[in-house]
Parts: sequence; C-alpha cells; structure tokens
Amino acid sequence: MLFYRIVWLGYPLLPTAPGQVWQLLINAHVKDEEKEINLEIGLPSEHAGRMLVEERITSGNLNFALLRKGPDRIGVWAGRAGQEGEEVAYRTTIIIRPQRTPKAQPPILGKSLPPAEKDEQALAERLAERWNNLASKPRIRAVAATVWGEWGPNPPAEGDLKKWKHLQEKQGPLKSLLLLLRAAGLQAQVAEGLRLVEGIRTQPLIWIEVWNDKIWEILWPGTGEIDRNPASFLPLATGETPSLRISGGELLDIRWSLSRQILSKWNLHFERIRRSDRFLDHWSLFRLPAEFQGTFRILLLVPIGVLIISVLRNLVGFPTFGIFMPVLMALAFRNTGLAYGLGIFAGVLLVGYTVRRGLDKLHLLLVPRMSLIVTLVISCFTVLALIGSKLGLREFMAVGLLPFVILTMVIERFFVLVEEAGVREGIRTAVGSAAVSVISYQIISWEPLQLTLFIYPELLAPVAAIQILMGRYTGYRFSELFRFKTLRKAP
Amino acid sequence: MIFQVARQLREAGVLGMNRRNADFIMPCNPRSLFPLVDDKVLTKKLASAHQIPTPLIYHIITSHGDIAALEGKLGSQNQFAVKPARGSGGSGIVLVMDRTAKAFITQSGEAISREDFTHHISDILSGIYSLGGLEDRAIVEALIHPDPVFAAVTYQGVPDVRVVVYQGIPVMSMVRLPTRASDGKANLHRGAIGAGIELKSGTTVTAVHRSQVVTHHPDTGKPVSGIQVPYWDSMLLMAARTWEMTGLGYIGVDLVIDRERGPLLLELNARPGLAIQMANREGLLKRLERIDGTPGTIFATPESRVAWAKEAFKKA
Repeated sequence: MLFYRIVWLGYPLLPTAPGQVWQLLINAHVKDEEKEINLEIGLPSEHAGRMLVEERITSGNLNFALLRKGPDRIGVWAGRAGQEGEEVAYRTTIIIRPQRTPKAQPPILGKSLPPAEKDEQALAERLAERWNNLASKPRIRAVAATVWGEWGPNPPAEGDLKKWKHLQEKQGPLKSLLLLLRAAGLQAQVAEGLRLVEGIRTQPLIWIEVWNDKIWEILWPGTGEIDRNPASFLPLATGETPSLRISGGELLDIRWSLSRQILSKWNLHFERIRRSDRFLDHWSLFRLPAEFQGTFRILLLVPIGVLIISVLRNLVGFPTFGIFMPVLMALAFRNTGLAYGLGIFAGVLLVGYTVRRGLDKLHLLLVPRMSLIVTLVISCFTVLALIGSKLGLREFMAVGLLPFVILTMVIERFFVLVEEAGVREGIRTAVGSAAVSVISYQIISWEPLQLTLFIYPELLAPVAAIQILMGRYTGYRFSELFRFKTLRKAP
Repeated sequence: MIFQVARQLREAGVLGMNRRNADFIMPCNPRSLFPLVDDKVLTKKLASAHQIPTPLIYHIITSHGDIAALEGKLGSQNQFAVKPARGSGGSGIVLVMDRTAKAFITQSGEAISREDFTHHISDILSGIYSLGGLEDRAIVEALIHPDPVFAAVTYQGVPDVRVVVYQGIPVMSMVRLPTRASDGKANLHRGAIGAGIELKSGTTVTAVHRSQVVTHHPDTGKPVSGIQVPYWDSMLLMAARTWEMTGLGYIGVDLVIDRERGPLLLELNARPGLAIQMANREGLLKRLERIDGTPGTIFATPESRVAWAKEAFKKA
C-alpha cells in the first residue's frame, strides 16, 4: 500500500513541506463622501522561494481587480463605499522555502532616478566618486556608513558635507540615501513590506533594496544597517509603487496581520488528494472533515507513544506510574509546551501531595477521597488558567487538556509510594515518568512523523510488529545490567 | 561495554525481568489460577485442604459493617495481624502486639488509636492495597511468634523463608531478615536483608542488603551466614507440594517458622522477585534450564522432587 501510494499516486516520500508557512491578512476599512473610491494595496507576489496558496479577497460592494506592475501585484478595490464604509480584506497563505533562494534577476531599473535638482544630483555624484574603485559589496557598506556620518579615510570637503547635510534634512534619509546609492552606480530601489514575524502592523516597513551582483541586500535608511537575509522579509511593493494608495475616499483603518501557521502544511496535501479520483486517495484520512483530521493526527501517534513506553520500560527499565500516564502527559505537552507542562505537572503533584497528606488525618474512604482529589486537581487547573489569562500565557490556559484523571491517580500512587517505599522511591518514579513523557513528547511532536503516519496510516502495521517484537524481548533490561552487576562471571 | 556486561550476565545464568515474565510466568502460570495466590483467603483454604499448615485465622472482615464486630470476635486474643487478602509486597499489614482501652500497640511499639485502626481496615476493604484496586477483604489472623533461630539477625518483625518453586521443584531459597530500615517488614525492596540458603543443607550462605553484599546484620551486628534453618526438609516439602495445590508452575513460596507450630505457609506469589539471585549470588536461569532438561519421572511426588533438587542444586 505504502509502495503503491508513493509510486503510483505520487505521494511525497518526505511528506513535510519544508520551510515556514505564514498567514497574511490585510484588513482595511474605507468610506467615501461623493466620489468613487479607489484603493490600491500592494500584495505579495510569488517566486521560486515563495509560494502563495489560497488567496481570498473580500470586497463587499466594491469591485476588485488585480494589477501587475513589474514584479509587483497590486490589488485595486474601486466603487462606492458609502458613508457607512466598507470592509475589504485580503487573505493568503504563504509558504517560504529559504533553501530555495529566488533566482534573483539583476534588476532592470530605468535611469529614471528619483527626482532631484541638478545641483543635488551633481553633489551626490561628486560625493560618490571616492567609492568608484570599490567592488559593489564594500561599496554598499561604505555608502551605508554615511548614514551615521562615516565617510572613510578622506572625507569630503567641509562645504560639500554641509550641503549634503542640508539635502538630507530636506529630502529625508530615504531619498537622500537612495540618491547617493544610485550616484555610486549601485542598483537600488525602495521597497515596502513586512518582516516575517508574528504581529499586527498599521503600516508597512520601508527599506531600500540594493543589488550586490548576487542578491538584493536590505538596507535600512534610518540606521544604515544591512540585512542580508531577504527571505525573512515579505515585500509588498517595490520601486515607485507605494504599497498603499487611496483616492476619492478616506481610509479609516488598515492592518497587516501575519501569523505563523503549522496547519497549512497539511492543506498542501489535502488540496491535492481531495481532487484525485484514485481509490486510495478516496480512502485517505485527508477526506475527513478538518476538525476530525486533527483528532486522527493525535490518535495515530498514540501507538507510537505506547511503543516508546514499552521500549523505555522493558528495554531500559524506567520506573513509571502506570502505562498510559506518560503518553497522555506527552500528548498534553503538545498544548502546554514542555517547560510549562513539566512545571504544571510538578506543581499539581506537589499541591496534590500536600493536600493528600492533610486528608490522611480525616480518614476519608477511598472513593470520596479520590473524588476530592479530582476536585482539587481541577481547582488547580482553574487557578492556573485564570493566572494564564491574566498574564496572557496561552500555555497556562491550555492546562485543561492535561489528563486530570491520570494526574489524580498519580497523586494517589505517589502518596502511597512515598508512604511505603520512601521519598526517594517516590521521586525516582515521578522523575522516571516525567522523563518518559518528555522522551515520548519529543518523538511525538516531530512533525514529519505526524504527517507520515497521517498520510500512510498503514504504517501502524510495522508499529504493531515492533510492539510484538518488544513483547517477545526476553533479554536484560538496561537497568538490570547495573542491578545484577555483582553476579556476572569474571571474564 | 553494555553488550559485554549483558553477555557476562547471560553466562552467569542471571534471569532478567523480561525473560522471567515471558518464558516462565506466562507459560507456567495460567491467568485463571492467579486468584488462588493473589487472594490469601483462597490460598489458606486450599492449603488446609492439602494439609499444609498456615497461620490461624481469627476473623475475615468482608464489609465495613463487620469492623465493629471485630473486637468481639477477638475475645481475649490481644495479639494478631491484620492483612489485606489481596495485598502485595507486604503493604497494608499491621501487626498488633497488644490492646489497651484506647489504642492498639503495633509491633514497633507505636500506638494506633481505635479510630485510625478502623480507618485502616476500611482502607483495606476499599481496595487501596489490593492488586488492581478491587474491593478487598481484611484478614485478621494469629500473630507469628518467630522461632529464635534468626533472633540474632532480626530487627523486630518476622523473618520469612522464600523458596522459588519451578514445576514443583524447589529451585532457590533465601531467608528475608527485617531491619530497622524495613520497619520490621521482610520485604527486600523496603530494606530487609536477603540471605541465600544452600538447598541441600539448609544453611544460610551469602546475603544482600539493598543490592550490596553484606556479611553482618546492619542493626544487630551479628553474622548472617552459616545459620542452620530448622525444619529444613519439611519446609522444602511444603514448598514442593504447592505445585499440586495450585497448579502454578513458577511461584515464590513464603514460609515462616512459628515457635510453637513450626513451619507455616504464609503466602504464595505468582510473580516472585529476582533479588533471590543476588542473595544467593547465583543466577536462576541455569537451574531452571536444568529442570527443563530432566526426565519426567522425578516429578512424580513432592518427595522425589525435593530429593532431586537437593542433589542437583547443592553447593559444591
């Protein structure tokens, strides 16, 4: 089956789309008085290192049109928005593959330099002469250094410097830098866009792109700093095109929101498989509605989790509370994160143990006592969730996904173990359980594995086979090598 | 290095946990027979049917309502032991040495109030100590007065003799000596000493305390080796007869020696631990494999099995 899917249905062998997936959302709110509104917004464009999937446009009453201007794409919303205003939006999913760098074309920039007075032009050219014999990379560095007043070994004449300062003040740092770069014979253009980090902005960043004969370097006009990783930026408009232009109306509000997406990787396969007519594509888990897909992604990992536990218990000899507790904890860590998850586990265990000690004096019967501890565990969760929402910690709010029944049992067993076998044994088992959870979490949260199992659920058969093999493993456990060390025959 | 250690252990015939479970417990101990040894009430009934002596039962508490009736049933008996019928590893056992108007005095001299005592019994009934957490019964039975033979190497509590029996043949044996650390209990994982017993002569040889080889008892300071176990032959025979009694092929038989009544069967264990190998400084596996290779005739009677084992497993 696996073979068939790969060879005939062309499933990917390594099923994850490497790289990052981002969701971009541009929201704008416009209104007009009498005239027709015309709103132009720069949109991201596709190239080898960047792929756009699922573009969606909301335009309300307005008409939408897509314009291409060189490498840029511009979305144009036009029409009557009315007094009430109209919400327009653009949404897309962007896949960035940093290892596939765009085959950067040397730019074809017209000689149309930024509009400048004749004498300004002449000044810039005079100033740029000093860099004539530098290669383009150091030349970019040298020009950038002028932003903070560094002119190299032989600074220009006092008069020119004064004039330049005056020009900088008049034209602003962006234009003056651009002028100087072009005067130095470098290909440079203004670009507007976003940095690929999660967040919401009300205006795009503006930078200068400079061609260094290989790639576009990013130069910050304000500070003169150079960013050589253009893949971490998302340009929306370049050159003379602004990323936002409106006429005939008023822009009340605009936001660019970027969020990192993990789920969208699935969509790639989902899209493909959904359109296929082949039998196994029909019977793929991708055919499930999205909300059930999530469940199965986790369910399919549970066999791997318990396999890991049987390996760690029977092959290595870790002491754990029960068989399923570590794997359920590991699944819960997926939501809380490892550090918080472990912290919460330790905290709840400690609180539970303390209260359980106190309860011992009350002589409660088993079932009511356990139900009391369940109540306690859930109270702890509630308090943590409330603290989490105050501090804005999602990890604390996800606490409800911890397996509370298991935690209750762990508290009881931990208490009994400490009472009977001593604190050392109790802590040893607790640490053993935590270690097993962490190890299974690390393996479970490995995304390629998740996707592999989801695409090829038949892989559960080999998992079962390994489980059977584990069941018949009659050799020594790793921990027994130490336990019985004194018994070994002298070689 | 890891594989080297594993090979050396295999050459020494050490039995590991996985091997014990997969090759001995699972094939030899059918699941259906487990209740016979997991429930001490059933074990005792079965033992008395096979004329194997066990500690006297005073009372069995089945429901919470029975707890109040306990004192009446005890009559003038002030010394007794309370155990969960399905307990394991010695948990939940309370040994009472004396009763006063308000409290019970345990063996370690601690006074337990009546209220605490009742609570403990109801804990037992709720199944806290039972395997799998099922509801349980509490057994109130005669307190063992241990034979003085081990008195010098026992700190409180009752020492017991563990015999591992495979296909009705005693394979290996040790005596478990309580220490201060084990709180008078004879369980190795709680810190009791395990002293191996040579099968033919019935004298103790080496001893192990928390995976360390020891020669003297840590609390009394007396040597633990070279002690002759009394009633040795009849104890081996009792252990061997548990095969006919239970049908279980691989069990640990726990015996105690009472001052007045002699050797008594305390309990049976269908998953006997592996520490006995450390106490004897010898692996179990070679002995077990030797039994697998013997002709069937020696299995005919308990006597023939004991006789064979004493010759086969004697220390050279």
